[in-house]
Amino acid sequence: MPADTLARPAASPPGAAAGHRLPSWFSTAALLLPTYGWLLIAIFLPLCTMLAFSFMNATPMGRAPVVFTLKHYKAFVTQPYLVGIAWDSLVIGFWTTFLCAVLGFFAALALARATAGRARETLLILILLPFWTNGLVRVFSWTMVLREGGFLDVLLHSVWPGAGSIGFLYTRPAIVLGLVHGYLPYMILTCYIALVTIDDAIIEAAQSLGARWWTILTRVLLPMALPGLTTGAILTFVPVIGSFMEPRILGGRVGVTMGTVIEDQFTQAFNWPLGAALSFTMLAVILAIFATFSGVLRRSTGGMA
Amino acid sequence: MTALARFYLLAILVFLYLPIVVMMAMGFNESALYELPFRFSTRWYEALSGNGQLISAGVNSVVIALITAVIATLAGTMAAVALDRHAVRGRTLLQLLLLPPIAIPWLITGTAMLVFFFWTGIGRGMHALLIGHVALAIPYVVLVVGTGLKTIRSDLEEAAVSLGSTPLHAFFAVTLPLLAPSILGAALFAFAVSLDQFVISYFLSTPGFATLPVQIYSAIRKGFTPEINAISTILLLGSMSVIVVFAIFARPGGSRDKR
Amino acid sequence: MTNVDITSVAKTYGQTPVLADITTHFAEGSFTSLLGPSGSGKTTLLRIVAGFITPDSGKVAIGGADVTDTPVYARNIGMVFQSYALFPHMTVAQNVAFGLARRGIRGAEARKLVDRALEMVRLPGFGERRPKQLSGGQQQRVALARAVVIQPSVLLLDEPLSALDRRLRQEMQVELKRIQRETGLTTIFVTHDQEEALALSDKVAILDRGRIVQMGPPAEVYEQPKTRFAAEFLGDTNFLKGTVVDGALRLSDGTLIRTGAPLPATGAAAMVAVRPEKMRIDAAGKAGDGAENRLSARIDHVIYAGPALTYALTASDSTALKIFAQNSTGAIHAEGSDVSLVWQPAHTIPMEDAA
Repeated sequence: MPADTLARPAASPPGAAAGHRLPSWFSTAALLLPTYGWLLIAIFLPLCTMLAFSFMNATPMGRAPVVFTLKHYKAFVTQPYLVGIAWDSLVIGFWTTFLCAVLGFFAALALARATAGRARETLLILILLPFWTNGLVRVFSWTMVLREGGFLDVLLHSVWPGAGSIGFLYTRPAIVLGLVHGYLPYMILTCYIALVTIDDAIIEAAQSLGARWWTILTRVLLPMALPGLTTGAILTFVPVIGSFMEPRILGGRVGVTMGTVIEDQFTQAFNWPLGAALSFTMLAVILAIFATFSGVLRRSTGGMA
Repeated sequence: MTALARFYLLAILVFLYLPIVVMMAMGFNESALYELPFRFSTRWYEALSGNGQLISAGVNSVVIALITAVIATLAGTMAAVALDRHAVRGRTLLQLLLLPPIAIPWLITGTAMLVFFFWTGIGRGMHALLIGHVALAIPYVVLVVGTGLKTIRSDLEEAAVSLGSTPLHAFFAVTLPLLAPSILGAALFAFAVSLDQFVISYFLSTPGFATLPVQIYSAIRKGFTPEINAISTILLLGSMSVIVVFAIFARPGGSRDKR
Repeated sequence: MTNVDITSVAKTYGQTPVLADITTHFAEGSFTSLLGPSGSGKTTLLRIVAGFITPDSGKVAIGGADVTDTPVYARNIGMVFQSYALFPHMTVAQNVAFGLARRGIRGAEARKLVDRALEMVRLPGFGERRPKQLSGGQQQRVALARAVVIQPSVLLLDEPLSALDRRLRQEMQVELKRIQRETGLTTIFVTHDQEEALALSDKVAILDRGRIVQMGPPAEVYEQPKTRFAAEFLGDTNFLKGTVVDGALRLSDGTLIRTGAPLPATGAAAMVAVRPEKMRIDAAGKAGDGAENRLSARIDHVIYAGPALTYALTASDSTALKIFAQNSTGAIHAEGSDVSLVWQPAHTIPMEDAA
């Protein structure tokens, strides 16, 4: 036997004695239980309950018997003004998403192509920082800029003292502006993540093949940023459609959206079944839009998205 | 081209920060009606110190954010470890189930919680808010910690086990120290999510128990005073400093290995 | 005492069998290479010995004790990973001491053992460094020290040298062999590098699609491959096909090839393997003594590599052949010339899976 050069330590590690081992599924289940149990109680059961509520004729309180009904899902037929509100909400959602996409894509492009190193890192943090501040406070801060006699007017009057007010608080553009401000950092981040991986060599290769900047933008950069744009659009459109605080603060009386109507059903009108039905209708519309959108996207990019 | 790009980035930054800066400045303006010219004053901060409602709402916010961060980080880290390191049946489904809290509009989640909590007798108030906030924060924790786990090669744990560690000891001796920056980042994330949360809190608050955003919202709706600017400024600076700390800690490689 | 026995081990993932009924024996103190292409099951077999994978059926015994149901941490193995798997948040000394601490050895005694282990891998004084501050080769040595210091029953090496560059790899091969001899550890070494396997091992096991197709000392496996796969995987080989006639192989052009080992019965189809360096070009075409095999061929290409020459030829039965020749005379046979190839029947190996 060859000579040992090392002293021989105690032969076997301590675990050897511990014969009782729990089955592996047990520890896995124990690790997963808190998270999924919590989500069950706080998210999934509530959503199921609300779905059940949406089929009731009235909020189940007091002694009145509760009857199954589909009437709340017919609200768009019986209360035609809801169609107009839903349309307005969609228009606000589309405008916000579109503006975020355009502004965000170019900001991400500028960040990825025109900055580097420490400056880029700092800029990225600066862009994302407002996003982590309270959304309510940021929306509120716009009222100080947009109101009559607000910062915008002060700025204008310092250049042209006799001018009237250009403040546009309590209008639909104000709502869109506030929402764009809120969701732009999302879009910049998702586009940046997609664009930053683009190799210089790809653009140089395109240039060497005689591509102009317009061709590079539309044939190289935009397709490569598409996953980021899609993610950003989803992350913007979904919460915007459900927003109620922004329209109320920035829109005043014109700020009536699906979000505020639903909120009213729960806090003012106390018609929970109608609110629930409207919520699920909204969810269905969102899903339908994305299904269409992703179908179109898949066809146009050959199954890439 | 580069100059144009940089100018554009500057314009974006101005757009992002303009209202915030204006609001902060107004918090130091003497006039209650936001009148100009600007006259520096700290009277609104002084008024704030006497506003018990806002202060207790602020305390509520911080307490809830702290508890949320602890619970969500613990639960989310456990789930992330199980999803990344264990053989889990239906992993894809479990990962998909993390999306609704993020992807469904908060308005719908919030009202659904209101309905369910009312119907089951859980009711509203601090405990209801906690249930809601933790549920919203957990998916982020799972994502952040899960990303961190992917950067830690599983053969490090295997090496520890081959040297005589039980899987549990391997986790605490090897994985956890390496995962600590991610866990800290996830905790800050959860804290920020909770502190920023308005919609869910709005539906689950009671007249006696509200968080700061809820209190601010009702103040704005009633007709605000510059006190709101003052407390908002404090809130903004607070969450900004949390994020700056996060950015420093969560940078890949961390400062620990700088030496 | 610390031999390793594998009995009827099988493992299937879903529908794919990864290991099919493996039975083998790793003798105490031996150095065995598991050699095979990716997907051959060599890493799976190693991980079954380690305990990271539980076989569907069969038994694993280390030192005579059945460890099939023993968890990894209680098997007392030493393992070196392809990626080194050093703990980045610990110093070199802490890494090496990790396994000792698990065995209750701490303090001065642990320090002494760690120092000796680091000396053995020729890294004395490196204890306070972090793994990140070391080169790839140094990290590999630390990983080796960490695995060896606990005096494992068996040392398992999972392609430990594949991440190193060629020069460093050769250096580490020498080190690895020396350390294995010094410690006398039963060693199982997974590799896809045939030269490495031949150079290091006492025994080579060739795996193909979940089976050990041949196992034996390097020279035996190289000189006497049993199957086409074993012959092809371990070095270059020329194959000749034909029909058996009176104990010899008749090629399609009528050339008779004699073999050392017996061929199947007359009339059967058969295939033989001849290593390229065993064949010799006999340009003069002088009459042989009849004891040698002789085959005419035409030179297609010559690859000149300084000390050695490689000829690509087409034999008279239109089989493509390859020959390695030492550049001892400086004379190179011209491309396109017709030559005779001669070699000994003893170097003509019948393949078991001929068809």
